[in-house]
Amino acid sequence: MATEVTFDLPYSQWNWQIGVYIAMIGIASGAYLMGYVADLLGSRRDAHGHGQVAKYGYLVGLLGLVIGPPILLSHLATPFRAMLIPLTMTNFDSWMTIGAYLLGGLGLGAFLMFVWVAFGRNRPHAPDRAERADSGAVAADGGTERDAARAATTDRTDGLRGVADRVGLLDLVDSLADTTRPSETVRLALGGVFSIAAAGVLIYSAMAYGSGMTERVALWDKTFLLPVQIFSGLGVGLAGAVGLAAVAGRNPGRAVRQYSLVTAGLLAATLAMVVATIVLLPEQSPAAEAGINNLLTTYAVPFVGLAVIGGLVVPILLSVGAVVGQRRDALSPTAATATYATIALLAVVGKIALALSYLLAAEFEPLILPL
Amino acid sequence: MSTQESNSGPARVIPNWESCIDCGACEVACQRTWDLPPESDRIQVVALGHGTEEEANKPMQCYNCVEAPCVEVCPTDALRIRDSGSVRVKADMCIGCHYCGVGCPFGAPQYPDAEVPNAEEAEPMGSRSGGLMDKCTTCEPRQEEGLEPACSSECPTDALLFGTPEQLSEKLDEDGVSTPFSDEAAEIVFGEDADEIMGD
Repeated sequence: MATEVTFDLPYSQWNWQIGVYIAMIGIASGAYLMGYVADLLGSRRDAHGHGQVAKYGYLVGLLGLVIGPPILLSHLATPFRAMLIPLTMTNFDSWMTIGAYLLGGLGLGAFLMFVWVAFGRNRPHAPDRAERADSGAVAADGGTERDAARAATTDRTDGLRGVADRVGLLDLVDSLADTTRPSETVRLALGGVFSIAAAGVLIYSAMAYGSGMTERVALWDKTFLLPVQIFSGLGVGLAGAVGLAAVAGRNPGRAVRQYSLVTAGLLAATLAMVVATIVLLPEQSPAAEAGINNLLTTYAVPFVGLAVIGGLVVPILLSVGAVVGQRRDALSPTAATATYATIALLAVVGKIALALSYLLAAEFEPLILPL
Repeated sequence: MSTQESNSGPARVIPNWESCIDCGACEVACQRTWDLPPESDRIQVVALGHGTEEEANKPMQCYNCVEAPCVEVCPTDALRIRDSGSVRVKADMCIGCHYCGVGCPFGAPQYPDAEVPNAEEAEPMGSRSGGLMDKCTTCEPRQEEGLEPACSSECPTDALLFGTPEQLSEKLDEDGVSTPFSDEAAEIVFGEDADEIMGD
């Protein structure tokens, strides 16, 4: 007769789509939070430098939410039913329900904050128009200003603004942004409110690895998983924002270098927590040993290769190296830009590999009678 | 055994694993009774301790837990504990997220993809198709007719016991067999009745 083990491992319940979803919402929430920090700092000093990181932080947050949740929906048996969130997601004891509403809040926040920062003639952190007009210099966000009047209203060639300009929507979006944007104080306060949702999503990116109150998956011990997800979400999200800001500016400035060092710090913290998981978790929870062994053997390529080395160690070294190289004038602007873009790419790939590894390597401990 | 709820809690099926001979009659009875697709395993004889000297094949299914972990994690409230004490899935509310599959410590939830003729996305009999969650219903329609669940009624060795916690406790004592659950599992399945079942 049948001899199958009925206790399906989590990876047979949840496939790669769940892993990518968890990675993307972690990146999105981390990018938003770091973007908001840059937004706050930009209101005090080096407005444009911090503002670029803020803008691209919000953009990475938005992109993460555009990619992640649809991938989750594609995993569900009834995606359209699930999309009716207010009608269907009613059990607030479930982290999936809590996460759905947090993602909604973060999505709204990332969209508004991005539009308000990236568009509009009166957008915050924009290059000093008068200064640029006087010097006739190339605008720091890409536009070449030819006269004061044009500088005050255009700088249309910046990457994002250029795209909107080419499709003929720039004036409309600028107008909408200026019309809806509240005062700077209120905007930053609203951004703070949305940051609460972002922080919640960051926590949810850990709690989504959940088997409920019985906690039958020892590898997903929240003592270790929470800091891993929080640090990696913040670090990879910031790496994405820094990478895009560097590519957009093509001459990474001081702010990019500062945030690159912060990225290195956050990724180093992630690395420390991952190592702690490998070393300490089996001691505290022997049931986790099988999952840890899976990470180091069966899933060594995605976990050790892509996530730890490719997604953490190399980006940390490159981040520090790029900053040092720029300070010593040993790195051309083009090489520095390429380095920051590479860091972002590696970090994102590593984050996805990390999320998948934690999902696929997990082993389910069923509750059975003593044999 | 009683087929309805008594003063000591709802009736449910639990395994007397020492009597199971791995004949699979319970699986056949369940699938035949409810016209289930082949891949549906509302009850399944499974290998436990696979690859060890203690390996044994035993029946497993939903125990309609008092502290049901699946109900806790279901985001859409598709899983609920009915007044009768049974845990039911409303297929027209399920989104097929598999959260209950990860949450259930016994591996009871199933997600059959097959198209089943006359499958109804409504209470009381689960989904049976479309990737939505399906599980043992403790044969409630049979209980309403005064019958035991199909699996327990057709088990040739009485390896599936059916009754309220009080009745199950008496049955286990009569047969002189051990409880089928660990302490942790018993607390989830029986709640406050766990001590009675566990013989404390």
